[in-house]
Amino acid sequence: MKVARYLLAFACASALLLGWGCKKPTDSKNNTVTVAYVTNGVDPFWDLCAAGVRIAEKEFNIKCEVHMPTKGLVDQKRIMETLLAKGIDGIAISPIDAENQTAFINEAAKQTKLITHDADAPDSDRMLYIGTNNYKAGRALGELVKAALPEGGEVMIFVGRLEQLNARQRRQGVIDELLGRPEQELSTAKFDPVDAKNLKAEGSKYIILDTRTDNFDKAKAKSNAEDTITKYENVACMVGLFAYNPPACLDAIREANRTGKIKVCGFDEPDAMLQAIKDGTAQGTISQQPWKYGYESVKAMKRILDGDTAFIPENKFMEVPFLVVTKENVDEFWATKKEMAELGKQ
Amino acid sequence: MAAPATPLLEVRGLGKRFPGVRALHNAHLKLAHGEVLAVIGENGAGKSTLMKILAGVQPADAGEIFIDGQPVQFQSVREALAQGVALIHQELNLAANLDLAANIFLGREPHQFGFIDQAKLHAEATEHLQRVGLDLPANTLVSDLPIGRQQLVEIAKALSCQARVLIMDEPTSSLSQHETETLFEVVRDLRTQGISVIYISHRLGEVTELADRVLVLRDGENAGELSRKEIDHNAMVRLMVGRDLEQFYDRKQHDPGDIMLELDAVRTPAHPHAEISLQLRAGEIVGIAGLVGSGRTELLQTIFGVTPAVGGQMQMAGEPFAPRNPREAIRAGLALAPEDRKQHGLILQMAVRENASLASLSRDQKNGFLNFNAEEKVAAEAAEQLAIKTPDLDQATVNLSGGNQQKVVLGKWLALRPRVLLLDEPTRGIDVGAKREMYRLMEQLAADGVAILFVSSELEEVLGMADRALVMHEGRIAGELPRDQLSEQAVMQLATGTPLAA
Amino acid sequence: MKKNILGILGLLIAIFVITAVLNPKFVSAYNMQNLVKWSSLYSIMGVGVAFVIITGGIDLSIGSVIGLTASLLAFTLGKNWDPVVAICAMLGLSALIGLIHGLLITKAKLQPFVVTLCGLLIYRGMARWTTDNQSMGFKGHDQLNEIFSGKIPITDTFALPMPFVFLVVIAVAAALFLNRTIWGRYLLALGNNEEGARYSGIQTDNLKIAAYVICSLLAGISGLLFAFELDSVQPAQTGEFYELYAIAAAVLGGCSLRGGEGGILGVIIAAAVIRLIYNSINMLGISTHLEYAILGIVILAGVVADELLKRYTAKRAAQ
Repeated sequence: MKVARYLLAFACASALLLGWGCKKPTDSKNNTVTVAYVTNGVDPFWDLCAAGVRIAEKEFNIKCEVHMPTKGLVDQKRIMETLLAKGIDGIAISPIDAENQTAFINEAAKQTKLITHDADAPDSDRMLYIGTNNYKAGRALGELVKAALPEGGEVMIFVGRLEQLNARQRRQGVIDELLGRPEQELSTAKFDPVDAKNLKAEGSKYIILDTRTDNFDKAKAKSNAEDTITKYENVACMVGLFAYNPPACLDAIREANRTGKIKVCGFDEPDAMLQAIKDGTAQGTISQQPWKYGYESVKAMKRILDGDTAFIPENKFMEVPFLVVTKENVDEFWATKKEMAELGKQ
Repeated sequence: MAAPATPLLEVRGLGKRFPGVRALHNAHLKLAHGEVLAVIGENGAGKSTLMKILAGVQPADAGEIFIDGQPVQFQSVREALAQGVALIHQELNLAANLDLAANIFLGREPHQFGFIDQAKLHAEATEHLQRVGLDLPANTLVSDLPIGRQQLVEIAKALSCQARVLIMDEPTSSLSQHETETLFEVVRDLRTQGISVIYISHRLGEVTELADRVLVLRDGENAGELSRKEIDHNAMVRLMVGRDLEQFYDRKQHDPGDIMLELDAVRTPAHPHAEISLQLRAGEIVGIAGLVGSGRTELLQTIFGVTPAVGGQMQMAGEPFAPRNPREAIRAGLALAPEDRKQHGLILQMAVRENASLASLSRDQKNGFLNFNAEEKVAAEAAEQLAIKTPDLDQATVNLSGGNQQKVVLGKWLALRPRVLLLDEPTRGIDVGAKREMYRLMEQLAADGVAILFVSSELEEVLGMADRALVMHEGRIAGELPRDQLSEQAVMQLATGTPLAA
Repeated sequence: MKKNILGILGLLIAIFVITAVLNPKFVSAYNMQNLVKWSSLYSIMGVGVAFVIITGGIDLSIGSVIGLTASLLAFTLGKNWDPVVAICAMLGLSALIGLIHGLLITKAKLQPFVVTLCGLLIYRGMARWTTDNQSMGFKGHDQLNEIFSGKIPITDTFALPMPFVFLVVIAVAAALFLNRTIWGRYLLALGNNEEGARYSGIQTDNLKIAAYVICSLLAGISGLLFAFELDSVQPAQTGEFYELYAIAAAVLGGCSLRGGEGGILGVIIAAAVIRLIYNSINMLGISTHLEYAILGIVILAGVVADELLKRYTAKRAAQ
C-alpha cells in the first residue's frame, strides 16, 4: 500500500504541475476595453489567428483574450458563460455547431457585442460574420487545377469530412470551376451529391473522379491517396481541401514514384505544402490568411464598441480575402507565416 | 396410503450422452406422494444429470417421464415448474439485495395495471414462509439471513409455485449442524403435506436419518434400491462402489520425525487478536476441526502466504519462515489444496496437463522457455499416480468430476514433492470412492515423511485420519486432542467454546 | 485453449477474393505493398493490447501513447537531440507509462478502464502542451525514415515495407513469449483465474505489470512507425481513437475480453481484415461515408460466423 500511496501522490503532483504549467489567458484590466476571441478548438491554425489578434490589440489599444476550447461544444459554452459573467465587452466566436447553438448565441448577443468568425451562425442575432467565401476560394482552387493541367485530366478530391458546410462549399467551387459552370451565390449554392463519381461536363476537359473522406485521420488520408493511385491509373491531379490532405497526397505520390506526374493543389498553408510548392512538386495552395481573421475580428469589435456600425454590410458578411500561393509568391508568404506563428505563440 | 396408487413421478429408460461420456443410461425411478427418496452415487454416477433432466434444465436423449401417469416432456425449467417439479440448486439463486417476498415471487409478482400489488405479495409470501417454518417478516432482506435460512426461502419459493416434487441437490453442504436439523424438520413436515422430495447427498448419515427409500446410481445406471429398513451405511457404500470396502480409514502408526513447521504466536489478518502456536512433525497427520468461521481456512491461508501473518513467528524445518505470497511458501516446501477448488485450486478452463504442471513450470523451465517434455511427464505421472479419470490430458479440467479435479490439484503439488501439505476440506464434494483414495494417499504421503495439516468439517474424517486434532474456536486453538482422546463429543465441546473437564 | 482462427482467416480470404474479382487492380504489387504496410502498422498495437486483454484488462490509452511518442520524437529531434537518444527516450517513456499503468492497477487496485482512460486524456494533453500543438515534420532525418518507413525491394515492383519487418520480429517474439515461455503460460492462467494462479505460486501482479509494459511499449513503437510513415505529427490528432482499432483487432482475432484466451496470429489476421476492408471500400469506389457501417457489419458477421463454426464443430465432435 505504501507504493500505492506514493504513486497516487505522484499522480496528483503531476496533474497539478500540468495545470500550473498551462499558459494563462491574458488578464483583463478594468480600465481598458476587453473583448474575447473564442475559437472552435485547439489547432495551429488558431495560433496563426491569434497572431492577428495581437497585432490588432496593439494597433487599436484594446485588450483581447484568446480562448481555445479543448473539449468541444460543452467547453465552448462554459467559456462563453464565464466571459459573460465577468461582463466582457465583446465576443468573436467560431461556433462549433451553429445550428444548435443559435439560441445560446442569441442569449449572449443580448448581453454583449457578438460577432462570428470562421464559421457563421446565419440564423442568429450576431452583428457580423467575418470569414472566407469558401465557394469563391474553391473556384480559385479550381483555377489552380486548371493551371496545373492545361490539357485537362482526371481529378480526385480529398477532404476530412463533408458534413461541414465550408468543406462542401470548397468542393463545389472546385467542381463548378472545373466543369465550367456559372458562379453560384454562396448563400444559395447547390451541391452535387457527396458520393457523386466521374463528374464531367460538355466542353470541359476535366473529370472529377470522386471525393474521399478520412474523418481527420491522417493515416486514412494517406491510404486514401494510395488507393486512388492504385485504382485510377490516369489520375492527373489530387486536390486536398483540408490542411493535412495535400501533404498526405504528396507523400503517397512520392512513395509511388509518381512525383510530378500527379499534380497536387490544396488548401491552407502547412510547411510541407509550402516546401512542395517551392520545389515545384505541388501547384499551389489557397491560404485563408488566418492572421487576418484575428486582426479583422478585433478591428471590427473595436469599431462596434466605438459606436461605428456603418461598415457592416447589408448581409452581415465581411469577406476576408484569401491568397493564392504559388511558386511566385511562396517565399514571401512563408516568411509572413513564420513571423505570425512566432507572434501567435506568445 | 393406497398401495398400488399411481406414482407421482415415474421415470423410465432415461438416457443422456455428453461428448465422450455416457452420463445416463436406462435410468428409472419411481416417487410416491409424500415420499423422501434419497439418490446417492459417486461423483459422475449421473445424479446431477438425472436431476437436471427432471427439472427441465437439460433435455434427455432417450426415455420417458410420467407425472401422475401422464407422459410429460420438459423443454425448460418453466415447463417443469408448471408440472410441479422444482429444483433447489446447490448454489442458491436468490437476489441478495431484494427482500424475501420479492424473491419468492420474482418474475411472478401479483400485479394490477402493471403495478405490483405489495399487500398481496407480502401476505402470500408470509404464508409460504410459515410453511417452511420461517417466522420472519416478508420484507426482510435476503442478505440479512444466514445461508441455512436462505435455503428455506428457496423451498418457500418452490412451494409458492405449487411444487409437488422438490429436488434438493446437496442441500446441507454449507449448513451448520443446527441448520441441517431445521431443514430436516421442514422436509419431514412437507412429507406430511403430501409433497415428495428427491434428496441428493454425499452424507450417508443424513440419508439414513431422512430417507424413506434410497436409489443408488453407478456409472449412469441404476445400481440398486434400498427400502427404509435396508438403509445402512455399508449397504449404501457397497452399492455405490460396487464392491465391499475394506476398512475405510486406513491408518498406520508412524513415528513422527523432526519438526517441519512451527508457529509461534502467529496472528492472522482475519483474527488479528488471536495468537496461534502449533508444531507439525514430518510424517504426522494433524487435523484441524472447528465450526465454519472459526478461522481454520484463514490459518492455512496465512501459513501459505495468501494472507500474510500480522504477528508472530513461523519456522519451516528450523529456518525462519515468513511468506508474503504463495510463491515463497511453495519455495519453502509447502503446498495447499484449497477449500474452493474452482476459484483457488484450478484454472478450470485450462487442460489437465496445464493445471498439473502449473506449479512445477518454473522448476522445469529452460531459460524461461517451457519444457514440454517435463510438463508431459509431470502430468502423466500425476494422472497415473492418482488415477485421474480423464479422456486425455488435454481435457479442460472444468469437464472433470469433483474428485478428479481434486486429484489434479494434488497432482500439481505432489510434482513439487512438498514437505508440508496443507489440505482444506480435502474431500468436500467428492464421492465415496474418491474419498477413500484420498485417505490412502494421505496415509502414503505421511509414511513417506510428508507433514500433513488438514482442515475438515466432517468429524468422522478427523476422527479417522488425524494423529491428533487441533480444535479451533473464534480464531484460537481451543484445545488439542491426541488420537486416543479423540471423540466426537470432545471435538464439539471445544469447537463451541466449552473447555474440556480436566 | 487454442482458439480457432479459421473463421477470421476465412473472412480475410473471402474479402480478398471478392475485391480482387471486382477490381483486378487490387492485386497490383503497389496496392499489396500498401496493404501490407498498413496492416503491419495496426497489427503491432493489436499485438500489444492482446497481452493486456489476455490478463482480463483493457488499455484505452494506446492512441494517446502513439500521439505522445510521435509528437515528442518530432519535438526532441527538432531540438537537435541525437536520434538514437531520442528514440531510446521514447521507448523508455512508453515502457514507463506501461509500468505506471501496471502499478496503479495491481498495487493501488484501480480498474484498468479508469487508469487507462485517464491515461488517454493525460498523454494527449501532454503531447499538445509540450509541443504547443504544432504540426511537426522529420526533415533531414532520412536515415531514420529509411529505418522506420523505408522499403526493402523484393522484385522490380514489390518492396517490403519496413513496418512489416518490425511486425514480423515483434510477432515472432510475442508468439514465442505467449506460447513457449512459462510467463506466457502464467499470463493465460491468471487471465482465466487470477486467484487460482496466485495460489499456484504465480506472481500475478508482476505479470500483469509486464503485460501493460508490453502494451504501452508496442504502442510507443507504433507511434514511431506512424510518425515516420506520415512524415508529420499533429499532437492533437495523431493516433486518436487507434485504441479502438487495436482492441477490435484483438477481440476479432480471438482474445476474450474476459481474459485468459488469445493468440498472436489471430490478432494480426484480424488487423489485416480491418485494413483490407478500408482498402476494398476505396478499390470498389464505395462511398467513404459508408465505411464505418461496412466495417461494423463485416466484423459482426465475422464474429457470428466464428461462433456458428465453433458450435458446428462442437456438435460434430459430440456425435
